[in-house]
Amino acid sequence: MAEAWLYDGQSALRYPAQVAAIEGGLRVAWEAGELTVPAAQLLHVDTRPDTQIYGHSELGGWRLGLARPVPDDIAAVLPASARYGSWVDRLGLGKTVAIGIALSALTIFGIFQIPQVAAPYVPLAWERKMGDAMMAQVDERTCRTPAGEAALKRLAASLSPDAAKIDIEVLDIGVVNAAALPGGRIVIFRKLLDEADSPDEVAGVLAHEIAHVRERHVTEGLIREFGLSIIGGNAGATVTGVMSAGFTRGAEREADGEAARMLSAANISPAPTAAFFKRLAKEEAKFGKVAEGLSYVSTHPMSSERQRFFEGGAQKGRKYRAALSPAEWQSLTGICKTREKADKAKGE
Amino acid sequence: MDDMRDASAVGTPPSAFEFTGSWREYLPIAVTNMLLTLVTLGFYRFWAKARERRYLWSRTRFIDDHLEWTGSGKEMFIGFVLAILILGLLGLLLFGLFVLLSTNGLETIAILLSAGAYPASFYIVGLARFRALRYRLSRTLWHGIRGGSDDQGFRYAWTSAWMTLVGAFIFLLLPWSMITLWNERWSAMSFGPHQFSAAGESSPLLVRLLLSIGLGIGLLLLVGLAAFVPILAMVDSGSEPPSSTAGILIVLLPLALLAIFAVVPIFFYAAFFREGINKLSLGAIDFGFSARTVHWLKLYAGDVLLVVGTLGLGIAFLGYRHWSFFIRHLEAYGEVNLDSLLQSETRAPRQGEGLFDALDLGAI
Repeated sequence: MAEAWLYDGQSALRYPAQVAAIEGGLRVAWEAGELTVPAAQLLHVDTRPDTQIYGHSELGGWRLGLARPVPDDIAAVLPASARYGSWVDRLGLGKTVAIGIALSALTIFGIFQIPQVAAPYVPLAWERKMGDAMMAQVDERTCRTPAGEAALKRLAASLSPDAAKIDIEVLDIGVVNAAALPGGRIVIFRKLLDEADSPDEVAGVLAHEIAHVRERHVTEGLIREFGLSIIGGNAGATVTGVMSAGFTRGAEREADGEAARMLSAANISPAPTAAFFKRLAKEEAKFGKVAEGLSYVSTHPMSSERQRFFEGGAQKGRKYRAALSPAEWQSLTGICKTREKADKAKGE
Repeated sequence: MDDMRDASAVGTPPSAFEFTGSWREYLPIAVTNMLLTLVTLGFYRFWAKARERRYLWSRTRFIDDHLEWTGSGKEMFIGFVLAILILGLLGLLLFGLFVLLSTNGLETIAILLSAGAYPASFYIVGLARFRALRYRLSRTLWHGIRGGSDDQGFRYAWTSAWMTLVGAFIFLLLPWSMITLWNERWSAMSFGPHQFSAAGESSPLLVRLLLSIGLGIGLLLLVGLAAFVPILAMVDSGSEPPSSTAGILIVLLPLALLAIFAVVPIFFYAAFFREGINKLSLGAIDFGFSARTVHWLKLYAGDVLLVVGTLGLGIAFLGYRHWSFFIRHLEAYGEVNLDSLLQSETRAPRQGEGLFDALDLGAI
């Protein structure tokens, strides 16, 4: 028997009550009634300096306050107090933290894998629209001559059998760079053609960008940027944001490997490409990328791995062919000439 | 104990409400809540909130007994998931409709639709606010009695949508719109058998709004003068401003502006909150709230110092600070008749404040 107080959940009156332990539960008696409560229906509510408070799982507002210390026979019936919440209490704090850290790490790892897994399932038509919109903005600067375009097409076709599906344009922009855009598009900036000494050097750059398109690295980048911006609370991913985010190091390595294979299959030596990269890196170090419009190396960092890919790719004694004939190379490097004339005619 | 059966005198000093918690007692709760929330990537936060409230309520005394929070983390989690599903579905539907309309030459309707989404969001915010209050009252127990509302809040949400719009466009109607919504929200609530009655008035708040605007302009002018007088003086004397003065100005000016934009809304909100609670009553109890602008400023300044000083860890204590601030300044006058304080017959909501949580309204 123990002295207690009771709220019956019907009125706010606090009744003095008597509590006794019975088989599998408690018997509670107060001036207005009597109740047998099975142990399973008792809930621990609060422990106060002088009282332990219990509730009833079926009766909302029913509260029993037992003076501390609670007699042993009654305490044996009472449920333990919940602490962190049911599922954490069941596991224990240490285990929950350990499992939590493991699951969180897995989840974060999974989130970073999503772009790679999801990219192949994004309809090309969606991406095309975005690529078209981007190209429309630079349409004025697109260089077009029949001979130049034919040379570019032949170069791409020799590198990749499915090159016809890829839209390759030269833009009259004074920056040494090339980029893969959404929707299977590649742009080469004019200054890269100016800086290149041979078609073989351009072939290496082009093969690298074709690999980005084939492996849908652009889509991955879009999903990555879009996904991160959702987490950041801004769902409106910008195209410039996507471009500046660039590709992951893994994607760059993959593209380099594939480019080396493409060059080898086309019987074009990778050595000039390696030399080109080295030259650009040296110039960039000397002049700074902004002053000379040299940005290829800063967007495609020159790792030792990368150098190995291209330098080591050249096999001694193998007879390589030139990527383009001298005439074709001349047409390609001169693809922006007519545009310059058009600009001058317009009085620019 | 027998005299508790009779009408109890309320309002005798020290206060009908008292916060009896201590930060040392709360510290283990705050630390473990933060730890578990971090390692579960936020999943635990519903259980953390329930634990926090269970502690804060249990350390809040009203007259002769403490409050009790009966809500669970699980129900808040379910409520949140439901709200996210509903909001997500609505968003998708709206987006689909927008694309369908705009690709079929009905751009005007599509634009109207997206423009309509803006006031519609006020509807959802109103609904969320109403339901959060209903949920909290339904999970608050005193002497075994809880609160609640039989109103679903849909009508309130409509009122909230158009009144918020009116208040946003016609600035001088803001006090009226805010206090009317407060009154309507609280008048729909009850505790035990008693209905809350809220009769806040807008005219004192309009005066306060005008004073706030005046205060803002006055402070801006003051800062402007303080910043430009030294410069003017130096230009006058023909000398260059020393770089140290310029440096001080560059640092102080944004801080001063920030302070103005923090102080002015608080100056208004403090009056709004007092008006709302001072005109709130339940049965034979009248409520009162004593925090003035300076108290709120101290609270927020303390928040900033705490969070910055602990490199962010102090965030775990903000809920504690705000609740104890609220209870310290809350008063009640009148009497409670325990005999007639019977159990609430309102239907208790089964889920937690999902919409409120999903919209992150607690942060506002």
